Amino acid sequence: MKQTATTKTSYHIPVGPIHPALKEPVFFEFEIEGERIVDVDVKLGHVHRGIEWASRKRNPIQILYLAERICGICSFCHPAAFTLAVETAADIQAPERAEYLRVIQGEIERITSHVLWAGVAAHEIGFDTVLFLTWQMREKLMDLTEYLCGNRVTKGIMTIGGIRRDITEDMIPKITDTLNYLKDNFEKLRKIFLDDKTIRMRSQGVGILTKENALKLCAVGPTTRASGVKKDVRVDTSYFAYGDLDIDFITPDVLTNEVNGDVYDRIIQRLLEVKQSIGLIEQCLDTMPSGDIVVEPKIPKLLNQLKKVNGEGVGRHEAPRGEVIHYVKFDGENESPYTWKVRAPTYNNILPWIPMLKGEQIADIPIIAASTDPCMSCTNRVAIADGSKKYEMQKEELHRLSIEKTRRLMK
Amino acid sequence: MKFSMLPQVFAQMFKKPFTNKFPAKYTPPSTTKFLEAVGAGKAKLIPPIETPEGFRGKIQFDKDKCIGCNLCIKVCPSGAIESKPEEKKIKIYLARCTFCSQCNDVCPVNCLSMSNEFLLADADKYSKDLIVE
Amino acid sequence: MTKDQELTPEKVVKYFIDEFKPKIKDIKIKERAAGSKKNKTPSIWMKIDNSAFKGAVKHLCDLQFPHLAIISGNDLGKTIELIYHFTLNYGNRLGEINLNISVELPKSKPKIETICDYIPGALITEREKQEFLGVKIIGIPDDRRLFLPDDIPKGIYPWRRDETGPEKLYKNLHEVKK
Repeated sequence: MKQTATTKTSYHIPVGPIHPALKEPVFFEFEIEGERIVDVDVKLGHVHRGIEWASRKRNPIQILYLAERICGICSFCHPAAFTLAVETAADIQAPERAEYLRVIQGEIERITSHVLWAGVAAHEIGFDTVLFLTWQMREKLMDLTEYLCGNRVTKGIMTIGGIRRDITEDMIPKITDTLNYLKDNFEKLRKIFLDDKTIRMRSQGVGILTKENALKLCAVGPTTRASGVKKDVRVDTSYFAYGDLDIDFITPDVLTNEVNGDVYDRIIQRLLEVKQSIGLIEQCLDTMPSGDIVVEPKIPKLLNQLKKVNGEGVGRHEAPRGEVIHYVKFDGENESPYTWKVRAPTYNNILPWIPMLKGEQIADIPIIAASTDPCMSCTNRVAIADGSKKYEMQKEELHRLSIEKTRRLMK
Repeated sequence: MKFSMLPQVFAQMFKKPFTNKFPAKYTPPSTTKFLEAVGAGKAKLIPPIETPEGFRGKIQFDKDKCIGCNLCIKVCPSGAIESKPEEKKIKIYLARCTFCSQCNDVCPVNCLSMSNEFLLADADKYSKDLIVE
Repeated sequence: MTKDQELTPEKVVKYFIDEFKPKIKDIKIKERAAGSKKNKTPSIWMKIDNSAFKGAVKHLCDLQFPHLAIISGNDLGKTIELIYHFTLNYGNRLGEINLNISVELPKSKPKIETICDYIPGALITEREKQEFLGVKIIGIPDDRRLFLPDDIPKGIYPWRRDETGPEKLYKNLHEVKK
């Protein structure tokens, strides 16, 4: 980036590494002209923990729990993608019932994540009452997760060649109760998000990602689908039980008949996906076959089998934020994998931020950055360096700017 | 609709709050002192929400059953279990435990189980409460 | 994306063989079934010589604009293997094809050309490979470090398994006395 010239009107605003709207550190440097963002530069790696390297000393069963700790909200999809990769490499086929149970767990996680995101997005534009409504909904889902898996966040449900806990007949009423509760509240949430003037004003026409850019920059998940690209691992490929289920692509034009690729479309996209996920869980509960839930219950035997594997595999799963892909290679000598490469969805959704943010205002940064539901970062400090003077802008300050913009628009 | 959230807000005014006020209605200035007072019978503790069946809490260890096969050490993702070769038993450091219950699954004699106890905060990670043996 | 409704793994393989016959090795088509209906997902694995790689990516873009999921890398001792994981034909129910193109680079000269001019989204993963595996990407638009902090010395590549690996930087925290 160029040095700020004294004669030029543009200046630079660094945002981060602890940054607006998000839950993990990332560093942005904006070039600003007046209120407009002219250029953006992104720096990453503030929380790079060398997880792939840590796997070199662990066996596949231990890595499951390491993968679970890559992200707290995606604590099912990383072990799921890892399991898929290992199963492909070792040619293990999970029992049919386990495949359906995995779908149920995956979809519960998707709803939890999308509902959480809806709350955060509302908070970013200063609509905190919606935040409390969505988090109340989420609490029910967390209770359900705890009931099905044994813990609220780290589910510990995935295992190689199956799943660790079954859903028995007597557990189904609690699931259907929660789903019914969600359906009722989903209607409320849909009305608030789609009919409310405040949300429309702040999100329509803001942070546009065109279809062409989404394809070129390899965006994934709801971010790319909101721009009209039909890409969803659940529909495109057959893994777990998704190949058996009745599922179709969802893009915002299902509801509005047009695709704009703005923040509003990304809100619609996620709300529609919540509804789709509820449908998928119901389908699974209806059509789930009976049988074993794990193909090899003796873990030492499984580990011996994996130790002899010489090969590689790729596992892909549609996480709430998009496609997560794990690559695993075994060399046939060591217990731990030779290579393990993790790619989380946000990795691909970083570059699309740049066209989204260009030309927007500072007050729009929080909602645009949050609209891809990035798995990193939390607001804290923005320093504005203006010549020799230095101001520090706290998280509250940026948040206040965003709220003030909402107020201005409402007048 | 301009204020679509208003009906919700009014309805909420007449509902019981969703949050369980654990451990007391108002956060005590010092949790340790508050817990001492509870122990002495001077204050009342609002209990936490009950955990469901199958909750993965503090590990329980049935020492007599253990045969010292060390399989749990092999699968423990965080290295929380230590072998005691002279006794042929194990020692679990709960400060490192991730509560995945993988050791429970692998144990051939079922000497490990998960309880529903989850209030394990301690100032010393090697305190007696956090070591199971 | 609609003109290639009928794209099959065999067609993709043939499309590549017709163009780069002697430079492509080890072509495998693997299929994996899942669920009760046993619907299959195809994936293609192939090895391409470094000299033909850039042309192959261009050739692929002519067929259909692919989605580049990630580049993964292995240190195989004498060579470094980069695997480009593409997906093709998405947007069709159960129609997706995984295409994994691997390129082996000698450790003495680990250089490969950038594909950012065809697929701009490859920038992040190319930068990552550059710092983690010590591969030189020729013509990369932005060659700064991405994930590694600035205080990690130059010439240390965390995913290498030889003397340029990260062994010197280890701090075994678990060896601190209990």
